[in-house]
Amino acid sequence: MAKTFRIAIVGGGIGGLTLAVALRQRGMEADVYEQAQELAEIGAAVALSANSTRELRRLGMGDALATVSTEPGELIYRNWRDGSRIAAHPVRENMNYQQICGAPYYGIHRADLQRILSGALGGAGLHLDHRLTEIRDLGGAAGLSFANGRTIEADLVVGADGVRSVVRRFITGGDDTVYSGTSAFRGIVPVAKLPALPDPGAIQFWMGPDAHLLHYAIGGNADYVNFFAVVEYPKVWPHAEKWLDSIEPGEAAAAFAGWHPAVVEMVAQHLPVRWGLFGTRPLLNWYRGAVVILGDAAHAMLPHHGQGANTTIEDAITLAELLPGTALDGLGPMLAKYQSLRRARTRKIQRSSWITNSLLHLPDGPQLAERDQRVTRFPEDFGWIHQFDALQTVHDATQTQRHPAPPHA
Amino acid sequence: MQQTEIETAFAELVKNITGTQPARIDRDLHLDKLGLDSLSKIDLAVAAEDRFGIAIPDEDLERFVLVGDLLDYVHRTTA
Repeated sequence: MAKTFRIAIVGGGIGGLTLAVALRQRGMEADVYEQAQELAEIGAAVALSANSTRELRRLGMGDALATVSTEPGELIYRNWRDGSRIAAHPVRENMNYQQICGAPYYGIHRADLQRILSGALGGAGLHLDHRLTEIRDLGGAAGLSFANGRTIEADLVVGADGVRSVVRRFITGGDDTVYSGTSAFRGIVPVAKLPALPDPGAIQFWMGPDAHLLHYAIGGNADYVNFFAVVEYPKVWPHAEKWLDSIEPGEAAAAFAGWHPAVVEMVAQHLPVRWGLFGTRPLLNWYRGAVVILGDAAHAMLPHHGQGANTTIEDAITLAELLPGTALDGLGPMLAKYQSLRRARTRKIQRSSWITNSLLHLPDGPQLAERDQRVTRFPEDFGWIHQFDALQTVHDATQTQRHPAPPHA
Repeated sequence: MQQTEIETAFAELVKNITGTQPARIDRDLHLDKLGLDSLSKIDLAVAAEDRFGIAIPDEDLERFVLVGDLLDYVHRTTA
């Protein structure tokens, strides 16, 4: 049965590749269609939390990830101007985070993560230069047309094609992208160029009026820092189809003038673009017929919990675990199950990220005391995000262990 | 959907999340007074979306102050 199931994954990013690798682990093959000419992740780095590193370990990538990642020593919240520590939580120290969450927290370059994932897939079934232009409902199957002139049919189409998903438009009939009114400057800087930075090996939030800067170290030797600086403008995004906007030299530096010297050093780097931060409207339906979405396509979120990539990996694992054993005529109930397992959780993180934005951007004033109290409660407040076990959740929901317990559980 | 039907369903949702069945749904009660913290408030919104088959945009959710605001929204969007 499994051999006759034609699965087409649209998008060769983190979600699409994870799904293809997880399906292969379960004895199913899928074809991945990527619009780019080559796999080249944009977006610098990504923080992988326990809810995804536990799954990537189960896919056999634990050692490869550990080699090119940095585990932050601590999570630290700081005042924007004087750099004082508002709250700090041990992460790598005493294995604290792993003890609480059951898997490590990693800072990793996106290109490294993509290389590990695509290496695991081995090139088989990966089709580059395939930009999706049209989906047709064939009743029980779907037809895909690509810009290169090729057309294919599949029994299941999975849209892992990001915040501006073409596949989502087929499902919802509209463009559900929403600009958040916030944008970000981001970059990767050698630690050696940041002499004013205290605790360069930590993951740190610098919180100030109408802006914050987050950074963490990446790479096997923690010698680079990936930073992400968020501001509350422009109110209206100037482009219809792009989420990158070129900026003048010095624009990022001007936005953080007067901040702590460590922040000033980071944003003083050559930063040619501003990233618009987009989300998706909450969707009621994640699937239509034989077509389903995952990751940013289904629930793009603000990055303030660092959960975009992590929830995408959870989605992929959930779908991969539900698929084997599904008959061709049982696709509807399986996709309904997938949506019910994923929608509420991702919606909650989406919503919580939105609230966190204002928390990180409070002006100096009386509200700060309450905010500072809240960031000291991080493990209690955010454990539900990091401790989540996607695979176990599927098992609990289906009550059948179709597969032996994973070796790294 | 009828107002009474919505109120009954809403009471059930609150019970599922807080563990306490509200004696009655007071439309003038502040949503903050339902015994929900900020996370369970999100749970309630997501549960309401699923139960009533609607999707509540974040910007609308932020405008709800009273229980009645949410109930009226459900009534309008399911009408």
